[in-house]
Amino acid sequence: MKAAAALELEHVSRRLAGRTIVEALDFGLARGRVLGLLGVNGAGKSTTLRMIAGLLAPSAGSVRVDGVDLAARDGHARRAIGYLPEEPPLYAELTVHEYLRFCARLHGLPASAIDAAVERATERCGLGEMRRRLCGLLSKGFRQRVGIAQAIVHEPALVVLDEPAAGLDPVQALRLRDLVAGLRDAHAVVLSTHVLSDVTACCDEVVILHRGRVRHAGTLAELERDAWLVVRTTRAVEAAEWASLPVVAEARPGGDACSWRLRLEGGAGAGALAAAIGEHGFGLDELRAEHGALEQLFVTIAAEDSIEGKAA
Amino acid sequence: MSTVGLIARNDLRRQFVQPLAWGLLALVCALFAWQFLVAVDAFLLAMPKLAALANAPGVTDLVAMPLLRNASAVLLVIVPLLTMQSLVGERRAQTLPLLLAADVGSLRIVLGKFLGAYAVVALVVVLAVAMPLALAAGTDLDLGRLFTAALGMLLFAATLTAIGIACSAWTTHPALAALATLVIGSVLVMLDVGARLRDVDHALINWLAMSNHLEPFLRGVFDTGAVVYFVVVSTLALLLAARRLDTLHTRG
Repeated sequence: MKAAAALELEHVSRRLAGRTIVEALDFGLARGRVLGLLGVNGAGKSTTLRMIAGLLAPSAGSVRVDGVDLAARDGHARRAIGYLPEEPPLYAELTVHEYLRFCARLHGLPASAIDAAVERATERCGLGEMRRRLCGLLSKGFRQRVGIAQAIVHEPALVVLDEPAAGLDPVQALRLRDLVAGLRDAHAVVLSTHVLSDVTACCDEVVILHRGRVRHAGTLAELERDAWLVVRTTRAVEAAEWASLPVVAEARPGGDACSWRLRLEGGAGAGALAAAIGEHGFGLDELRAEHGALEQLFVTIAAEDSIEGKAA
Repeated sequence: MSTVGLIARNDLRRQFVQPLAWGLLALVCALFAWQFLVAVDAFLLAMPKLAALANAPGVTDLVAMPLLRNASAVLLVIVPLLTMQSLVGERRAQTLPLLLAADVGSLRIVLGKFLGAYAVVALVVVLAVAMPLALAAGTDLDLGRLFTAALGMLLFAATLTAIGIACSAWTTHPALAALATLVIGSVLVMLDVGARLRDVDHALINWLAMSNHLEPFLRGVFDTGAVVYFVVVSTLALLLAARRLDTLHTRG
């Protein structure tokens, strides 16, 4: 029997105050994968995350976690979901250790498993030296770490993180990136962020929301495979010569006659292109993937705003 | 431990690492002690005259019950301060998503919040009862009447606490929650003052007034109708609070 996906969204829509915030969301995620949820401000990311975390009921469609519809509200989500909102939900008056014990109990862990679970989450999030510190006295970086620790302390199938890197300095952000990437060992992770480099570094899959709809959903590997290649040849090459190569789907000039940007046919790799260049005697000086395939896609989608705005 | 107990214990712990609960309890303690000592002093002065009377009121009538009546007025002010942070405080500190995402159910969250706040409020009642109870070592107290009054006070305090939790769920600022609790509690206590002045009796307005349901207990009468009143009002208030949390889930 096929195992249920950790997360499945089916035609999920949400209306608030007569306005459609998100519409017809369809995507899923398996355990061991990290999904990056991208979108400009107001795209519907937080609403989507709140629905995934069970905080907000969809107006239409269903959100299933581990195969169980959250609409049932039968307590399944209590164990299956770990959620870190944009602002970590910490009780300033409790120490880190007390707080994590409270969270473990709140999520229904049996008393006999609590000490081990708290210890495990503390270690995974690098909070060993902070366990006796009051939550209210922690730095922003450690607050985020405690927030992640409370999201994973009960070993949920799905961890939902809403912009965990917001407001962190670069060093803290890098450490947090490693921590999030490490979560895939035991969980499915949905990560909402504005930082595209976090997505490329941590995520296996990406969903781009724009104006409440999914504009792109796929794996980062697909995105990179579909990315343009930058080629520099030792001699000038005509566009027609590129067109004659079966592996090349599209060729655009890159500045001079020796520099080109190429998109390959599906299934063709850079190795096949290099071989074809050699066979045709173009001479290969440089061959690399164009940086920022995700950035370009994101900017293109985000730019639809201004284009549509001007058209209107 | 049940989820309700867990939330209650967490709230209680958080209340006592903040100065507000300690400060209020110290203030209440000082106020009750002063009233108690004044009442004992007045009783000692009046004792020779009382000795000459047949069926003269005793220390329970002249010291214990006035103190508990005053304590009910103090509760009207103290309870809003102890409950104002309960749910609106969680919303403002953005910790409410932790409870809601844990999928424990709105009613359990509200019951946990209620019990967490009520533990402190009940302590105020215990303090008020403990002072006249201390006289039991040196005089004859009507213990049955004192315990009946204590039970009435506990029910009265529970109702005020439930109203405070409901106000904390439905408002957006702790000060507003405290004000709403104070106003609703005061109105319920003084609702039939005008009616009583006009000798209106057995009317709905008399039944709605909370003070009319506390009074039998202070006279030593266990009034099951009053118990029903306190339970109904408390339950209604807690259901309203739970309804508010459900609204957050369905309407955002």
